[in-house]
Parts: sequence; C-alpha cells; structure tokens
Amino acid sequence: MKKTFKMIDLDCANCAAKMEAAIKKIDGVQDAAVSFMTQKLTIQADDARFDAVVQEAVKVCKKVEPDCEIVLK
Amino acid sequence: MTKKQKKTRTRIVTALVLFLALELAEHLAPDVLPGLAWPVLYLIPYGIVGWDVLWRAVRNIKNGQVFDENFLMAVATVGAFGCGEYPEAVAVMLFYQVGELFQSVAVDRSRKSISALMDIRPDYANIERNGELVQVDPEEVSVGDVIVVKAGERVPLDGTVLEGTSSLDTAALTGESLPRDVQAGDEVISGCVNLTGVLHVKVNKPFGESTVAKILDLVENSSSKKAKAENFITKFARYYTPAVVFAALALAVLPPLLGMGPWLMWVQRALNFLVVSCPCALVISIPLSFFGGIGGASKQGILVKGGNYLEALAQAGIVVFDKTGTLTRGTFEVTAVHPQQVGEGELLELAALAERFSDHPISRSIQAACQPAPDPARVTDAKEIAGHGVQAVVDGKAVLAGNQKLMDQFRISFEDTCHHVGTIIHVAVDGVYMGHIVISDQVKEGAEEALRDLKAAGVRKTVMLTGDSQAVGQAVAGQLGLDEVHAELLPGDKVDQVEGLLQNKGPKEQLVFVGDGINDAPVLSRADIGVAMGAMGSDAAIEAADIVLMDDDLKKLPVAVRIARKTLRIVRENIVFALAVKFLVLILSAVGVANMWWAVFADVGVSVIAILNSMRMLNAK
Repeated sequence: MKKTFKMIDLDCANCAAKMEAAIKKIDGVQDAAVSFMTQKLTIQADDARFDAVVQEAVKVCKKVEPDCEIVLK
Repeated sequence: MTKKQKKTRTRIVTALVLFLALELAEHLAPDVLPGLAWPVLYLIPYGIVGWDVLWRAVRNIKNGQVFDENFLMAVATVGAFGCGEYPEAVAVMLFYQVGELFQSVAVDRSRKSISALMDIRPDYANIERNGELVQVDPEEVSVGDVIVVKAGERVPLDGTVLEGTSSLDTAALTGESLPRDVQAGDEVISGCVNLTGVLHVKVNKPFGESTVAKILDLVENSSSKKAKAENFITKFARYYTPAVVFAALALAVLPPLLGMGPWLMWVQRALNFLVVSCPCALVISIPLSFFGGIGGASKQGILVKGGNYLEALAQAGIVVFDKTGTLTRGTFEVTAVHPQQVGEGELLELAALAERFSDHPISRSIQAACQPAPDPARVTDAKEIAGHGVQAVVDGKAVLAGNQKLMDQFRISFEDTCHHVGTIIHVAVDGVYMGHIVISDQVKEGAEEALRDLKAAGVRKTVMLTGDSQAVGQAVAGQLGLDEVHAELLPGDKVDQVEGLLQNKGPKEQLVFVGDGINDAPVLSRADIGVAMGAMGSDAAIEAADIVLMDDDLKKLPVAVRIARKTLRIVRENIVFALAVKFLVLILSAVGVANMWWAVFADVGVSVIAILNSMRMLNAK
C-alpha cells in the first residue's frame, strides 16, 4: 500500500532527508520519500503492517524535528 | 511572510539594533562599564535572536540528534563566547538567523508560485436540483449528471456539452494561450476555464478519474521520484556533517597537544568548522531546482512525473518518434488533384458526388475538400465495392472512383505518372479516365521546426517508426529531416526496433520515445523516457508515459529538453559552487586565515546564493 501524508511546519531540508532515511529503516517499509518542497511524506509499506509503520514514522519524525506535524487522515 | 517569519524578523531587528548600540558604546566609551559587564550585555541580543536555536539544540540532543544544525550553531557561538569573541558570537547568530529567514521566505515563495501554477482543482460543481442550481462538491457528482458551467468558472468534471457554446481557456492544462471553441456535442475536460457562455455538460467520468484529478495526482507524486543528483546529496549530507565535526574535534585537540600553538587559537579555528558543517545549501537548493524545473515545465503544458525523468531527459541522445498522430496529424486530406480532360474543381466534384454516401475516411476527406458541397440529388445510384471504391450514377453518367484495382476491373486504361506519395483515387466517367486525386496524411505544423530545435538542444539522432509503407515513411522522413526510418512495422516490431537502438546507444545517452499514447504503451515503457503527447483527455497516455505533453504540439518537446538541461546545469553549478566554497573556507580556517565571518558566509551565504540560483528555474522557458 502506498499513501501520502501532508506535513506541517517542515522547516528544514536536512531534517526532511534525515526523516526519510529513518523511515526507510522501519520494518515493513518498502519505500519512503519526504519532500521538503511539497511538504509531503509518501510511504509504501506492507498492507499488514501499514498502520503500525505510520505510527512509528510519526514517532521517528517527532524525534528529528519536534515542531513538524504529520497530518493523518 | 507568515506569522512565524514576521516574529523572527522582529527578533532579528531588535537584536541588531541592540547589538549595534552596544558596539558603538564599546568603541566610544569602553571604560564606562567594568570589563565584565560587556559580555553580559552582549548576551542580551544573543539571547533575543538565538534562544530558539539554543532551545532546539538542547531538545534535539535529548533525542539523540547530535549533528543537528541548531546544535552545531549553538556550540560554535557559545564556544566563541567562551573564547572571548562576544561581538562575533552575536553577529554569527544574527547572520545565521537572517539567512534562515531568507531561506524560509524563498522556499515559501517557490512553493506558492508552483502551487498557483497547479491551481486547477475545481472547488464546486453547479448541479440542477428541483429546478434550482446548487453548488456541490465535484466528488459528489455522478456519471450521467448534468452540470452547469457559467462564464468565468472552471469546468469541474470531464463531460460532453449538451447545450450552449463558449470558448475555453486551456492555458492551465496545456500552456496554450489561444482559447478553444466548444459547442453542443464537444467533449470538455476538467480544469479548463469557461470564458464566455453558459454550458450544460453531461458528466462522463467520476471526479476521481477526471483529467484534473489525474494531473494533480501526477504532479503531487512527482516529488517522490527523486533524481540521482538528489539522492547523491542526501547521501553526501549524511557523511559530510559527521566528517567535518570530527575534523573540528581533531583540529581543536591534536595541534595543541603536539605543541603547535595555544589551545584557544585551535579551538577558535575548530569552531569555524562547525559553522561550515551544515550541508543546507545543497540539501535545499538541489530539490528546489528539480521542483522548479518540473513546475516550470508544467506551466508550458509539459508534465514530468519525477525528478529522475527530468535528469534523464537532459541526456537525451536519441529521440524515436511514432509517425501517425505524432509527426503527422493522423487525418487524411486531399493533397493533390491531377485532372485529365476536365478542370480540377470538376474532378473533385465528381469524386465527391460519387463518394457521397460512403463513410470511409478517404471519402470524408474528399467531401471536406470539395467546398461548397455539391447537390446530393445529382447522384441517383451509388454502390460501394469493398476494397476497390465506389460506382455511382452522377447526372445520368456512370462514374467510377477508386483505386487501381477498380480501374483494372472495369478495364479502364491510364498512364500511372503520379509521383506523389499517398493514397490515390482514380476517377472515370462512362469508361473514360478523368484523372486522379491524391490523399495523404499531413505532417504536423511545427514538426520540422521541432526536430531542428531538438538537434540544436543536443539530440544526436532522430528516428521514425511507422507501420506505413516504405514510400510514405521515406517521404515524411525526407520532408522533416529525420536521420533514420523504419517502415512497415507491426506494433510488436516497434518494441524490437527500440531494443536494438537501446543496445547501440552511447553509455551516457538516453533514448526517448514519443508517441500519442494510443497502442504504444509497451514501447513507451521500454524506452528510457516515454513521452506521450496530445494527452488531454487520454488516461492511457497519462498513465503509460514518464513525461506527458498535454496538447499535441511537437514544439513542446525541445522546450522540455531545454528545461531539463537548464535544471541539471543549475544543479551542477550549485553542487560545485557550494562544495568549493565550503572546502576553501575549511582549509583557510584550518590554517588560520578565515575567521568566523567567512564560515558564516560559507554556510548561510552560500545557501542563499544557491537558492537564488535555483529559483531561476521557476521562470524557465
């Protein structure tokens, strides 16, 4: 499954790159991209673990840039 | 500017005023205050402008983010304070914040200019309910519903016009500024702006499958397909910062241990390293260049599905075209009339009358060429002979119109002298040969120019593939100046041809295939870059291709190549410039020539310059 999330207050490009690297390491993630320009996070992961992956991704991003918020719909 | 940015600006201005006042006071009357008071006073502007950096540094350390730029700036400035360089510490923090603010404003501006470009999402659809027009969300409209589009509104969904005439502005989709006229029976696509009349449109597709939704989806996803250059920078950044920080550590500790000078001097030099260690200039400006390139291209009606395709397009070496519908219009037209015995108009009229009741594309093109249309009552009897032509009675005379086989069948002799390439319709009246009409596919306007421009943009070889006969293929290729032609191909053969070309291309060359998106999906996906043109309203094309030209104007192709090359040039400029300045400042800092001002320039100054350079892409032509 592939899903795109909006990110609010992603202010630093380097953080975006760090988040992307960290999310790619989460178990079950096939691919991930954090776009600093469009402020969007795209995650492609196993269907079975998708929700857990997203939860973890949010946690990881909070660690890198606490001000940035991922909008979950 | 956003609220946050305005707040930062106020802080910067306040701190700057305080800082300058302090500087002035210290220079004019250094003895007014006791020596220890100055550093404490300098702490005030430092705190005002830099508290958030310090706060974030502490917070991120807790989260294990050691090589965070806030942390590095904090260490560098606090270190400068420790070394007794109070004004420098404040100035560096000030300069850093100014740079950050500038970056944030510049990035915001780019984002806005691109989202304005892609502002084609319709907000509502007008639908008639109980005799009243109500505004509903386009997603709530179902197929078969009739929507009303008033002048000045955006067409919210794809559909067919039931009543009304108007002209549509398609600029947001195609970059074409000339409005397109529509009337009842015409298809309209979502995203266009209705300029003049009121249109009643029967919806053909749900919103999720409409053109506008497809395009938005494509553009939004384009940033997730990153170019190699972008991935390189991300990877580089991961090693660069730790490497520089460790170098700083070594510089602070090793030389003084070896007795090469006082600790203070080496620590100061090491602090410079920390300031230069952020890779921001690259991390922001490279994606911004690609983003700008993709945005600038979509302004011209060229949709690029990802930075990787833009990067590949910049290296386009071989461009392969499908003939029909790509280089030619794909419609048949009368291109020559060669009468014997009668006048040109008369011959055309005879053929048009004889073919009056045939619905074959060839007949239709003859009807279209014969204006004004002759009175159909003059035809009393007409019979179609499949694969040959027609036999009809016109003005009481037996008229034959068809190919050579038809002439042979009725034993009509003629001399085959025609040197034109195309489909030839012979005409005979009462067994006497009257002449022939040549019908052929027309080369697209601007095709020749487009091919010339491609060559000028650096394309090495142009190739045409066609299922048509060798003669037709050669004629078109000669007219347009293509380098290579492969004719009489079956659809499967086209893939083989492309495979062959792929094997023989240069190591850094990319092969581009350009088709109209109909029936050529396998070739589009086999080529390095598949370009579909005339995609307005064709979902298949949008899905199969890597780059989509919204209208069928071939001249957009060289434009796309130029934009791609310009993007890559800017990307390279930024990489070289940023790395050169950073390494130069690192070396000069190590030997003690560069001070912290240089270091700040190498960090924020370079970022700002690189961003400005990237922003040129937003106005790419």
